[in-house]
Amino acid sequence: MFQIPKLKPLCLAAMAAVAVALAGAPAEAQDKGTMHVAFGDIPGPDMVNFLAAVARAEKRGVEVEVSYLQSEDIAAQAVVGGQADIGVGTPYALIQKVKAPIRMFYQLSQLRFYPVVNGEFYKEWKDLDGADIAVHGRGSGTEAIMQLMAKENGITYNSVSYVPGSSVRAGALMQGNIKATNVDLERKRLLQRKAPDKFVFLPLPKVEASDEALYANTNWLEEQSEAVDILMEELLGVWREINKDPNVVVSLRDEYNLLPDLPQEDVDEMLPSFSQGVEINLYPDNGGSAESVEEDFLFYTTAGTLQGDPGDLKVEDFWYLDPLNRALDKVGRM
Amino acid sequence: MATTIGLSNAEKSEASAFGLSKITLYQLLSILGLFALWEIGGLVPISVAFPTFSETTVALFEMIADGRMIAAYADTLKPLLIGIGISAGFGVTLGVAMGLNRRFQWFWEPIFIVLQAAPVAALIPLITFIYGIGLAAKVVAVIILALPIIVLNSYKAVRNASASLIQMCQSFQGTRLQQIWKVIIPNASPVIFAGLRLGVAAGFIGVILAELLITPTGIGDLITYHRSVAEYAEMYAAVFSVIVFSAITVGSLERAETRFFRPDKKVGR
Repeated sequence: MFQIPKLKPLCLAAMAAVAVALAGAPAEAQDKGTMHVAFGDIPGPDMVNFLAAVARAEKRGVEVEVSYLQSEDIAAQAVVGGQADIGVGTPYALIQKVKAPIRMFYQLSQLRFYPVVNGEFYKEWKDLDGADIAVHGRGSGTEAIMQLMAKENGITYNSVSYVPGSSVRAGALMQGNIKATNVDLERKRLLQRKAPDKFVFLPLPKVEASDEALYANTNWLEEQSEAVDILMEELLGVWREINKDPNVVVSLRDEYNLLPDLPQEDVDEMLPSFSQGVEINLYPDNGGSAESVEEDFLFYTTAGTLQGDPGDLKVEDFWYLDPLNRALDKVGRM
Repeated sequence: MATTIGLSNAEKSEASAFGLSKITLYQLLSILGLFALWEIGGLVPISVAFPTFSETTVALFEMIADGRMIAAYADTLKPLLIGIGISAGFGVTLGVAMGLNRRFQWFWEPIFIVLQAAPVAALIPLITFIYGIGLAAKVVAVIILALPIIVLNSYKAVRNASASLIQMCQSFQGTRLQQIWKVIIPNASPVIFAGLRLGVAAGFIGVILAELLITPTGIGDLITYHRSVAEYAEMYAAVFSVIVFSAITVGSLERAETRFFRPDKKVGR
């Protein structure tokens, strides 16, 4: 005969408690859809804002899975191939050249470059006449900006070598392998911290273009509009909170236990980095707009990523702004 | 009967369709089948980033015609030739020394076995910490891949040199030097040469890995750049050209090996 275990009443009580807890959960925390986000980078402190928005979207019933892939190209292929739903990057060339059925829909950050030279050898742009410089890659934004500055200053570089990855170029600068390049905000801070007097950051006119944007298949964006809208609202919320007071990144990380394995050095660097980012308008309050896309066209055609006259390019061929507009209608524009 | 070793006369005559031997015909069919599958895969398409074989071929000829491909190979061959040169010189010498001297063997063998078994793609970024991001790092990447194969093949070739030939040399009162130069090395040379051929193939992998993982130059630059601007036909053309170039080089070395060191193998082909 079936023996009733002694623990049965306890089990029943526990099951009842779980049932009551589930029934009492807010109606919102139900299945609102799933999404798989693919980053083309390793997880780092600069992703805390995005991950906080993801955590809040999850609380509202959206199931989100985040993967970290080797490069932005691979992330884009994953989205095109359907292995991931949302990618992070600016796949303008992919959309224009192979007519990939993807569209960008949220501007996460603006492009910021920091041309940097070894102070022992160079002090200003003019000194770079005949110098060997290193940039991220052929046809990259970093190369476009260095060439633009060469033109403005009437100088010619001796050679341009390609060293992908801001962190690699920062490392090569510190080792003395390269003497002139440009780096991102995170590595600018790293160089200032590790060797405060060794490097000179050269002035640069303001560049307005997207650095990272979210993109997805247009069909998927329409099918999962409820989940996408929730993510949009949470992104706008977190971005605005940080722009108002960068200190919230620390509390957001603690509240949602984001990237718990970050090294202490990165944790310490997180707040100053976000504070500086806010100062230089790195994080858009409204997630991009048709105007910001036009600025992208201007920059990326100069860089060679996009082909054609920027005036002839159409926003709707590259961006799908409906989800963003819906979210902005709800949370308000700034 | 001779027919058991090679092709029978009947097979040879039966095979001369379109004026080609049976072997060549099958080899051609194999390659054409692969290209046909590639074309179909591109037409389906497997992915928007997968061009057809014909698109890739057009891109390849365009890149050859405008000189991009030739300039890229001039860059890629530099670290490859230096790396292979160093690996061949140092590798054969060390391998022969290991084959002749037990102490040398005990000391060096573990190092090269570990190097051969190591996942080199994971080691390549570490090379940059010591050798920077220039030509030296790429040469080291080629050496790391090619050297263990050349050393271990050379050592095994010498160690397995025909004992009866060595005894014959001894019985004719040959000196140790005569034994090495006139018996061991000539006897080991086919396997040493096979090691060199495999080393060259590994060197190709090393140089492309270095150009993709350290700094994009030469063919690595063509692959990286065309991928970043979504010109996939050009990107695959660069990849395809490396495969063809590497296969032709290694194939030519194999023919040279058969011709100069292994006339016996000719029969069985």
